[in-house]
Amino acid sequence: MYLGTDLLATWGLNLEFGVAGVANFAYIALVAAGAYTYAVLTLGSSSANGAFQSYILGSRLPIVVALLAAMAVAGLLGCLIGATGLKRLRQDYQAMIMLVVSIMATTVIGADQAIVNGQAGLSLIPNPLASLNGSARAWTYVGLVAGVCVVAYLFLRRFTRGPLGRSLRAMRDDEDAAVAIGKNVVAMRLMVQGVGGAYAGLSGALLAGFIGGWSPSSWQYVETLALLTAIIVGGIGNDGGVFLGTVIVPVLILQGVQFLPQIASQPGLVEDLGWIILGVLTIAFIFVRSQGIVPERRPGQRRSGTTAPLALAAGSSGGTVAARADTGAGAEEHAPSDAPRLAAWSVAARTREPGRPPGDAAPGDDVLAVSDLVRTFGGVRAVDGASFSVRRGSITGLIGPNGAGKSTVLGIVSGFVPASSGSVRFDGENVTEVAAFRRARRGLVRTFQLPHEFGRLTTIENLLAAVPGQRGESAMSVVLGTRYWRSEERRLTERAGQLLEMFAMSEKAHDLARELSGGQKRMLEVMRALMVEPKLLLLDEPMAGLSPMLSERLEHVCSQMRSAGMSILFVEHELGAVERLCDHVVVMAQGSVLSQGTMADLRSNKEVQDAYIVG
Amino acid sequence: MKLLIEAIGFGIATGAVIALGAVGFSVQFGISNVLNITYGSMMTLAAFVGYAFLQLNLNVWLVMAVTSVIVAVASVVFNRLLLEPLKRRGTSFVGVIIATVSAGIVLQYVIVAFVGATAHSFGQQSGRTVSALDFVFTTSQLIIIGTTVVLMVGLHVLLTGTKIGRAMRATSTNRTVARACGIRTERIIDFTWLLSGALCGAAGVALAITTVSFDFTLGSSFLIYMIAAAVLGGIGQPYGAMVGGLVVGIASQIAGAYWSPAYQDVIAFVILIIMLLVRPRGLFSTGTANRRLANA
Repeated sequence: MYLGTDLLATWGLNLEFGVAGVANFAYIALVAAGAYTYAVLTLGSSSANGAFQSYILGSRLPIVVALLAAMAVAGLLGCLIGATGLKRLRQDYQAMIMLVVSIMATTVIGADQAIVNGQAGLSLIPNPLASLNGSARAWTYVGLVAGVCVVAYLFLRRFTRGPLGRSLRAMRDDEDAAVAIGKNVVAMRLMVQGVGGAYAGLSGALLAGFIGGWSPSSWQYVETLALLTAIIVGGIGNDGGVFLGTVIVPVLILQGVQFLPQIASQPGLVEDLGWIILGVLTIAFIFVRSQGIVPERRPGQRRSGTTAPLALAAGSSGGTVAARADTGAGAEEHAPSDAPRLAAWSVAARTREPGRPPGDAAPGDDVLAVSDLVRTFGGVRAVDGASFSVRRGSITGLIGPNGAGKSTVLGIVSGFVPASSGSVRFDGENVTEVAAFRRARRGLVRTFQLPHEFGRLTTIENLLAAVPGQRGESAMSVVLGTRYWRSEERRLTERAGQLLEMFAMSEKAHDLARELSGGQKRMLEVMRALMVEPKLLLLDEPMAGLSPMLSERLEHVCSQMRSAGMSILFVEHELGAVERLCDHVVVMAQGSVLSQGTMADLRSNKEVQDAYIVG
Repeated sequence: MKLLIEAIGFGIATGAVIALGAVGFSVQFGISNVLNITYGSMMTLAAFVGYAFLQLNLNVWLVMAVTSVIVAVASVVFNRLLLEPLKRRGTSFVGVIIATVSAGIVLQYVIVAFVGATAHSFGQQSGRTVSALDFVFTTSQLIIIGTTVVLMVGLHVLLTGTKIGRAMRATSTNRTVARACGIRTERIIDFTWLLSGALCGAAGVALAITTVSFDFTLGSSFLIYMIAAAVLGGIGQPYGAMVGGLVVGIASQIAGAYWSPAYQDVIAFVILIIMLLVRPRGLFSTGTANRRLANA
């Protein structure tokens, strides 16, 4: 029984914390919200229970309605709590808010007499199976909860497996990168907290119906810790592991200790012992096996003997794993081909207007035009009136000394840094005020100066996650299931396979991204951006730290992409590459554009030499 | 009017205790970058250690001093045994927070196992009272207020005016670089935990003195006030924590007097949430270090 309701709660929390990376320390308050909603809606008027309890509603709604209402209320509350996370505070500040919300919710509810009867709580909550008696009722209830759990599990699978779960995990691993490939992280987070909240509400309602009573002492903030411990012990992000964790932690430990003999001199000591074990267990798991008993496994993931995945570890840890030369079984599915099959590469279809050959753009056909961009940080004018444009189908270099404002310009163009003034026109439209993820979806895609990989996804999943507007990511996929997105997924996988081949990384397709080397992570970053099918690709120092072989490969791909019609804005210090690749080069210094032209022109320009090339 | 004055007077006395605890919490969080939820249980520990010493018929202020030292050492040990190893493994913020919540619960229930769940009292409620303007304070309240002010000024001078204070701030901003500059960051971190642990111990005893009776939830239920005060004043700012403590203390007492005692905590909560959403770096913070704290 408790296993069932706890399971609903841990699954819901795992969706938030394990899959989507939202550490909701106020989760138990949502369980409580469900329980109270159920109780208040099903209880009759006060007369039946004497004077010690009073209700303003007394509506005696049918049980099913009350259950659904409990889910709705908790789900909405979940969204509301989630909304506090929209302000981008550091993780520990967010955790602080959640903890405080949880503590205060108990206090506020404890102080309210009218609806929920304060600290004493509600009692005589109707059991959904009131017509049955004794053990028959208890066992039927267990059956009912088990049934609900099975349905809940099947529904949850549609969230956590498949492309939607992949995108959620991508957001968990690196939010900035998720935005850069066009994910609406705000909507995703609210959705997850809504669904997680609904699970909490259902769990609370079923619990309240079974016990028949509910008061603030049943949902102290430490209860959330019990659920978190279940997830950590079982396996973060893994529904099956969480099942195991739930069996062990809230059920075996917290319920189990009640069957131990009581010590006469100190009543309650044994229950306290349960909490001590729980706390120690949590710490032990964080230390020794932070990925849990059953770690999250990605489809096709290769078993890595070299590094233990640290599920709770911070995002990027720098590539350390030695390249393993043995064959990756999954990677060879794609038919080998000698030349990268650019013909099949759909970027051409999207980028090039029909009937117009690449590189033959009409004069003045700019894919990007920035004018008078200004960005101040405090008193510093990092970008100070920069204006330039990028011709369609060209590779434009953006160079300049350190601190010239190149990366800030890239940030403004991609929407990550708001402009203080000035405008950005992309593909003929003013996008200055457009959210970063929308710009990415329109085909304005950036990469980062430091690798931002989705560490706990495999390489190929990193690529697949990047495709915007895929069917498997939509709400429809939850309703319709795998059939709805399977064929699209197959097509995308094939495309990702081709890209991997182009970059000679097929072998790494099923390795976790965080186990790649630094150079491979950079390649991954570029490949992932290409999966979005950009019209304009913004590359932020892609050559930095690459071996000559890798940077040559990257150069080659860039020029191929140009022939396919893509435009590239290329921030780079490696002037050799800039000279070989770029049709046009913009030089920035001290926040504004110093000069522009071909690299050959610039080399002869005295001003540019003084500012940059000579030093 | 009398009610208001009483509430303010009570608020100042409560505020001093909040400030004492908040400043330790704030410095600890600010320098070590760990949101340490165990802090509340450490205060409970302090209260019960103090209680044990009080049974030996020691002077209550001597008890406070001795307890501070003990909790300070416990705090350093806690950091070394649990938090530093976790950080070395690259555990995320959330992982560390979960660990401190767990440790807090373990400590709280270990305390229960020793002392039971019953209420205890220092029995310091009576004693001479001093009145000035319409305010009435007991002597122990006055001593606590005085101690808080002295500690706060001392800490501010330490952080801003001395070499070790500069080293602490450097370490908090970037530990690797600080070490590269020849700062012995391990010692600085130890010192930070020693200092904040001592304040935690003093605050725990002060809280036990000023409350009528207390049990094992003393510190953890007080934590929310301290977090509110620390955030209000700006994390890492001793003066800020003092002002924050006073504001939270007075506001909650006024709310308790005019509205309902049950909603006292709610005021602290409302202040905290508003601050976190509107100005997470705190009222008095001007430094860039704290701006960095809030966004990242």
